[in-house]
Amino acid sequence: MNSLSVYLTIAAVLFSLGLFGVLMRRNLIGMLISIELMLNGANLNFMAFNRFLAPEPAVGQIVALFVMGIAAAEAAIGLSIILALFRRLRSINVERAQRMRG
Amino acid sequence: MMWLAHDPVLTAAFACATLPFLSMAVILIFTRPYQRLSCAISVGAITVCLGSALYLLITLRHAPAPVEYQWAWIISSDMVIPFGFLLDRLSLLMLTIVAVISFLVQVYSIGYMHGDPGFSRYYAFQSLFAWAMMTMVIAPGMLQLYIFWELVGLASYLLIGYYYEKWSASQAGKKAFVMTRLGDIGFFLGIITVLLGFGDLGILHMNHAAQAGDIHPAVVTLGALLIFCGVVGKSAQFPLLTWLPDAMEGPTPVSALLHSATMVAAGVYLMSRIFPFFAASPDAMAVALVIGTITMLLASTMAFVTYDIKQVWAYSTVSQLGFMVMSLAAGGYFAGVFHLTTHAGFKALLFLCSGIFIHEYHTNDMREIGRGGGRKLTIPMICMTVGALALAGIFPFSGFFSKEAILGVLAAHPNKLFLAAGLLGALMTAYYSFRLIFFILFPRETAEPAHHHEEAHGGHGHGDDHGGGHHGHVFWAMAWPVMILATVTLVLGFFQNELQSYLLGLEPAAHGHEAAEHGGHGLGHYLLLVTAVSLAVGGVFFAYLEFGWKKATQEGFLRKFPAVENLFANRWYMDHFYRKALDLCVYCGFTNIFTRNDRRVIDGGIDGICRFTVGGGRAVSFLQSGMLQYNLVLMVAAVGVLVLVFAL
Repeated sequence: MNSLSVYLTIAAVLFSLGLFGVLMRRNLIGMLISIELMLNGANLNFMAFNRFLAPEPAVGQIVALFVMGIAAAEAAIGLSIILALFRRLRSINVERAQRMRG
Repeated sequence: MMWLAHDPVLTAAFACATLPFLSMAVILIFTRPYQRLSCAISVGAITVCLGSALYLLITLRHAPAPVEYQWAWIISSDMVIPFGFLLDRLSLLMLTIVAVISFLVQVYSIGYMHGDPGFSRYYAFQSLFAWAMMTMVIAPGMLQLYIFWELVGLASYLLIGYYYEKWSASQAGKKAFVMTRLGDIGFFLGIITVLLGFGDLGILHMNHAAQAGDIHPAVVTLGALLIFCGVVGKSAQFPLLTWLPDAMEGPTPVSALLHSATMVAAGVYLMSRIFPFFAASPDAMAVALVIGTITMLLASTMAFVTYDIKQVWAYSTVSQLGFMVMSLAAGGYFAGVFHLTTHAGFKALLFLCSGIFIHEYHTNDMREIGRGGGRKLTIPMICMTVGALALAGIFPFSGFFSKEAILGVLAAHPNKLFLAAGLLGALMTAYYSFRLIFFILFPRETAEPAHHHEEAHGGHGHGDDHGGGHHGHVFWAMAWPVMILATVTLVLGFFQNELQSYLLGLEPAAHGHEAAEHGGHGLGHYLLLVTAVSLAVGGVFFAYLEFGWKKATQEGFLRKFPAVENLFANRWYMDHFYRKALDLCVYCGFTNIFTRNDRRVIDGGIDGICRFTVGGGRAVSFLQSGMLQYNLVLMVAAVGVLVLVFAL
């Protein structure tokens, strides 16, 4: 059970769940959470490859740490955008933000 | 710059080719508000140039072969176009003429342009003019010559249109520029012809190869004819001669410069520069001969009827240029260049004298000047008479010698018609130049001069704050150059033999023999000489009968033929013809086509592009639904496609 493919499968499932959430949720907070899921799926991949394929331990972990940092920044920016949108539209439903329709 | 210091000849040539330009740049950029400084810079630069030119002339007087300095400028496969200096006998002579006349004119301008608001600008353009002309004169290749040829045109445009706030002046500047450009198109095509047919634009190479028959005769003829177009434009020959009389709108010193040593002389200089090339094509020479003859006669007739003092000299310039072209085209290389030299002297003299009168009486009308008491200005009056005698070709003034030389060449030509035309031209020249002199010397209906004087003074524009101004520095700045030129005009003719042996590179001893052979048709030659002089004297006498004599009507015989007089006064309706042609061809023909092109093709094309862009945007705008997640789906799909393409 302790093999690379298990980890990869779990990561793929996580990523797909996240993608599904991003595409299907109409709630912006929900979309943000789904994006976090996708990032974690990718992180899991990095760790798994690091553990099983690359003997040098640091590389994958460093990338994973970077991804976490970026995720935090992204959450902050995303939340502030959502907040600004909410102030304007009194809603966080993505369907309401359709000003760019051609 | 080390190479400059080791070669004084090169240094001198370099000074001539750069200093006036530097002076122009300095004046335009830095010293424009300081009139005296600008003037000093410009005159200083031209003085150094004059010194360099004289030094070059004296040093290289006996140089057996032309001195050439060249740097490759454009290199393209086996074609090399150099840039540099060519110092041979002809270019050194011309360089000296240009430097002397430019120097005198600039000194004269200190007086004439005194108090003009655009004084600095004037001197900047004068420097540009001198620079362009001098660098053109010592150009070793046709392309460099052409570039500076155009710069000469530019400078004359700027100076003719110097009083740009005056409508007629700016029009005259434009006319001069456009008409000479018309000829220059031919010139440029000629250069291209030579480049394609021969592959080298070096003047010496061209001349040598054409003489040796290394160039295909058709190329020589075509090239010579096309290059002659440039001469026609620049030297105001027959079809394109009307710009020169209009160029009188510039300040008088500019006219003096334009008519004697620069601009119009450039055309004749070019022709003598590549004289062997021309001579290799009898057809081109014949065309040039006919054009020169027509020009000479046409311009003389125009001078019969005008009352504008500057215009008379302008027409006479055109006709004398015709004379030079005739001489060159008839094979008289020395006679043409010699007449160019003497003409530069006496024509500058005539214009500068006229300038003093105009400055004094504020009118261009010779009758007004006469009534205002023109003859009381003794120095300019004497000098102008000297100039007119030279122009008429009366012994012992310089014009006599050069005109004799030309008539001698024409006499040697098999077709005697040209000799007859030349003699007729000499007669007419004497008539119209003394018509002017007598108008000023013997005025009719002499109202009290003081009255006219004051009246003129009230209206004049540029400040002559010396009242009569006879003894101010303003007057003397103008009088000295005039007196120098008058002296030159008096003595230059006696140096004919020296000049000839110099120019043709003969030893003085050998030359005597040659001259005896050349001029020594014995009786025939003296007969010609006597005929020419008596014709000239006859012209003067005729003018005296009509304009000078006490009982003379001062109307001229042409008054009896009003139709002819009208024809002459309207310049043979050439301007009308150009106007009509311009209206027909340009305003109705080309402009219509271009307007249509502009409206339909260019505007229509741009409108079409705009419409296409807008329509295309509309057509695909449904893709922008505004839903964030549709865009995300598209993105994921695109990544999926990329994965399929690259991973599988």
